[in-house]
Amino acid sequence: MLILARKVGEAIVIADDIKVRVLESKGGLVKLGVEAPNEVAVHREEIFLRIVEENKKAAMETPADLSSLAEAFSLNKKEQEK
Amino acid sequence: MNALEKEREQPAAEKLITVQTSRFGEIAIDQDRVITMTSPFLGFPESKRFILRPHGPDSPFMWLQSLDNPDLAFVVIRAGLLGEAYDPQVPGPAMKELEISGENDRDMLLILTIPKGKPEDITANLLGPLLINTSKRLAKQVVLDPNKYDPCWPLFQK
Repeated sequence: MLILARKVGEAIVIADDIKVRVLESKGGLVKLGVEAPNEVAVHREEIFLRIVEENKKAAMETPADLSSLAEAFSLNKKEQEK
Repeated sequence: MNALEKEREQPAAEKLITVQTSRFGEIAIDQDRVITMTSPFLGFPESKRFILRPHGPDSPFMWLQSLDNPDLAFVVIRAGLLGEAYDPQVPGPAMKELEISGENDRDMLLILTIPKGKPEDITANLLGPLLINTSKRLAKQVVLDPNKYDPCWPLFQK
């Protein structure tokens, strides 16, 4: 991993068009400003990890038979529509 | 009629390829129906190609089976089944990545988590839906606003 030390106000540049600047550092909390092209998705890491975790859970727990669940789904839907 | 409904059509024999899967054994699939991920699938970056298999004629569920990992299959539903309750704004860059030009060639699927022994606690991942270009067969799991969308939304609303 590349490790860079930056002061408040300083930035790093990734590729040609992504800039990450340290805006504020107070009590263990660092505020970062990210300038990136629109097509570059920027998320907090935990959001990604949350989806990875949910995907893994979804893949792990698939049941052998979905028929009774399909039935329950349509019953539930009808009930909601009432 | 939605483009994904075409899953039910019979493919031409010359386009069939056979793939080994844990759940369905050896299956014959139409090459034209293969869905390719445009970005790594979160948690399963090795799986780039998938096929959608309807669970049954009267079932809302579909299987999203990986062609690159025989063990990997998700249960999904069309997001449209949730009606007005779920109609998220899709980020523009994702639409571009999937080369989606209009409403007609897009669809959205929700990945379901079905807890073992408690299937009634089934949840849908509203935070990370799968956006699909139905004509070009491209897909991507998009990450929406975590303040608005629940990754474990109970499908059976009481």
